[in-house]
Amino acid sequence: MTLVYILKRLAISIPVLWLLVTLTFLFLRIVPGGPFDQDKALPPHIKANLEKEFDLDKPVVWNTKKWSEGHYIQFFTETQYFYAMKKLVHGDLGPSFKYRTRRVTDIILESLPVSIELGLYAVLFAFLLGIPLGILSAHRHNTWIDHTSMFFAISGVTLPSFLIAVILIYFFSIQWGMLPAGLWDSGFEYKVLPVVALGIRPVAIIARLMRASVLDVIQADYIRTARAKGLAEFPLMMKHVVKNSLIPVITIAGPLVAAVITGSFVIEHVFAIPGMAKHFIQAVTNRDYTLVMGVTIVYAVFLIVANITVDVMYSVVDPRIKLS
Amino acid sequence: MKKSLYFILCFGLVFSTFLGCTKKHKLDNETLVFNLETEPPTVDPTKTTDTTSSLVIENLFDGLLDYDLPNLTVVPKVAKSWDISKNALVYTFHLRDDVTWTDGKKVTAYDFEYSWKRMIDPKTAAEYAYFLFDVKGAKDFNQGKLKDEKQLGIQALNDTTFQVTLAQPVAYFIHVATFPGLMPLRRDVIEKHGDKWIEPQNIVTNGPFILTKWKHDYEMILTRNENYFGPKAKLKTIRCLMVTEQSTALSLYQTKKLDIIRNLPALEIPKLKTSADYRSGNFLGSYYIGFLTTKYPLDNKYVRRAITAAIDRNQITDLLEKGDLATTSIIPKGLLGYNEKIGIPYNVEEAVSWMKKAGYKLQDVEGEKQWVDTETKKPFPTITVTFNTNEAHKTVIENLQQQWKKNLYIPVEINNQEWKVYIDSLHSARKTPDRVGFHIFRLGWVADYPDPDNFMSLFTSYSDNNNTGWANPKFDALVEKAKVVLDPKKRAKLYDQAQKILLEEDAAILPIYIYAHQSMWRDEVQGIALNPLDSWKLDEIWVQRKTAQK
Repeated sequence: MTLVYILKRLAISIPVLWLLVTLTFLFLRIVPGGPFDQDKALPPHIKANLEKEFDLDKPVVWNTKKWSEGHYIQFFTETQYFYAMKKLVHGDLGPSFKYRTRRVTDIILESLPVSIELGLYAVLFAFLLGIPLGILSAHRHNTWIDHTSMFFAISGVTLPSFLIAVILIYFFSIQWGMLPAGLWDSGFEYKVLPVVALGIRPVAIIARLMRASVLDVIQADYIRTARAKGLAEFPLMMKHVVKNSLIPVITIAGPLVAAVITGSFVIEHVFAIPGMAKHFIQAVTNRDYTLVMGVTIVYAVFLIVANITVDVMYSVVDPRIKLS
Repeated sequence: MKKSLYFILCFGLVFSTFLGCTKKHKLDNETLVFNLETEPPTVDPTKTTDTTSSLVIENLFDGLLDYDLPNLTVVPKVAKSWDISKNALVYTFHLRDDVTWTDGKKVTAYDFEYSWKRMIDPKTAAEYAYFLFDVKGAKDFNQGKLKDEKQLGIQALNDTTFQVTLAQPVAYFIHVATFPGLMPLRRDVIEKHGDKWIEPQNIVTNGPFILTKWKHDYEMILTRNENYFGPKAKLKTIRCLMVTEQSTALSLYQTKKLDIIRNLPALEIPKLKTSADYRSGNFLGSYYIGFLTTKYPLDNKYVRRAITAAIDRNQITDLLEKGDLATTSIIPKGLLGYNEKIGIPYNVEEAVSWMKKAGYKLQDVEGEKQWVDTETKKPFPTITVTFNTNEAHKTVIENLQQQWKKNLYIPVEINNQEWKVYIDSLHSARKTPDRVGFHIFRLGWVADYPDPDNFMSLFTSYSDNNNTGWANPKFDALVEKAKVVLDPKKRAKLYDQAQKILLEEDAAILPIYIYAHQSMWRDEVQGIALNPLDSWKLDEIWVQRKTAQK
């Protein structure tokens, strides 16, 4: 049943992807300035040579010249859009316009794992810290522990990640010399600051969610019953309260992972991490049409998968919800 | 119990992956960590146009000739000598026979013939193909009009003789032989690996360093070429990092993770200037303001002169605090033809008199001074200045706005655009100046080769880089003439005349300053000479660390 549901959802996502790719393609061509526009202007025929190499010498969506010549099929096929789509269907994203000797697929395959690694560490950090913090706050409701941890949680949500990154670098690298101020070499010390800077916001989100959820569950009848029966506080919290409070937290895991992995631009930039997030911005700035298309597709797939996962998770965690 | 065991196991597993890898980059006296700042778009010499790629290429490859820095004289490299025919059309390069590729094969004249022809081959679609357009047949070949390679003026006569024939004599042509885009290339390697020939496992080079590792968007490792024909690199390893964010690079420098940083964060410069590590020098690049000379009211040369004379350039360089050199000449200091006496200097009185000569009268309107056209009685319109979004440019343009308002009572609006949009609107301004929403723009130019022609030919009426719409046949003729005159003194005179037309008579552009570059390195790093080409010869650098660190 679940499998059929997932397959159905995936089938629906294909037209969504197609629409997205088409819109991205069109928007890129509408924006002024092309990939080969630069301050040192190129002689027209050199630009023409370049455009020929990247299929930009053809009309964008329809080829009126071919139509007037009576080639009605080529009206659609001899266009940039058709060439790009044909390549996409074959899984070829083409060469990057900026990094001329590299394929977009290679760029993504090299940078995506780094972003995933960073993102997963950050999410893991967020869960490991956020859940206990939420439980503790709820359990010590309205005490100084609750107030302090919620103060940090709210700060974490409101402070922009670049500010957190800069503060962390200032103290841990420059003042105390404990951790490197950037880079992504192998070694534990290189991961700490970026992971904390990226994870602090999810920590805050999870802690607040967990706190609210635990507070909700604590007031349930079955907890009162358990207490009345004389169950000790720690097993009660762990076995009955926490388990039942996890539902909302688990359901946000999917979108959180997608958001953290693709939304780490600032952190990757500040810590000089060779991830994919920076291409989201730089590829647009460079009008690197193929690379923009590549990262957009990756992002879309991430979101689609995350959404499906969440819906499936709902039914797994809460049997009352049925997939249809 | 079982669950908590799982939990502890998972936790342990994740953290052991952190701790498991403890390979560190040691800082010793054999390694230098250099900030390359960005990923080189490619290190394929033929396809490169940017300075980052050129920096790497110059350390991986050796061309025919090289520069003696900082004097900028051309000296032998792979070519041990060269002859120029009497009519200055035929350049014959005599190559050394002891230069080898990193795979042991000899570097021959045929490798140069291949790379030069690859540059103008339309199939390569090389952006810098026009560098060779002075060579016989090159332009036609690049345009697809000439198909027969044999008719090109590029030929290897034998293994050690490479000959280039020009279509017309060109005074600066010898610089082309130093150009990073024309390094020798191995046809067999390129044909075998395609675009991936530049990856460390495939690349074959002939310079002082070998590319041994390239983690894209992160680092490149250059290792000393032990079989190099010349003096071997002083350091065994250069680690080139790609830290784009300047403040991060500075933090890494301060924590000794980087040995050399270039391009410092603008806000920090005043503070960093006091450090002994701070180094600065001018290089061959000019920052200028361009006028749309066919658009009202800047179609009047006296208005342009007035606007130019109203600017005190020193105010701007003082504000930027980068060590840039205020200039009235577009040819930068250090090049033939630089003449500090040419151009319109700051002179408010003269600016006012030129406005009057342009047909405007200064009037008091509601307590504010305003220029009014003496014939039409219309007030002088608000001038719009545009620039590409950037903090430093904003500082410059805002200062110009203030000066024009204060010194000349001219109302000025400013606006900024994203880089590619900006370039696009400059190109449209050339064709339809009245349809773009600005009168004045900013741009800079950095020398491709150290010759004044590189700056002066920008403003010829047929240049693709002349965005001002300005055209003066006298100027065009002088620049064309100076191109082929070989005597430096005569050339300098011609450029003086040309600059006078461009900058004084017609005032088509307003040069602001000559760029300075800033870098930082500690005293333990030696052998660096900042030079006007901003060229980095990494093989000449060595380090003497006070305490070897881990």
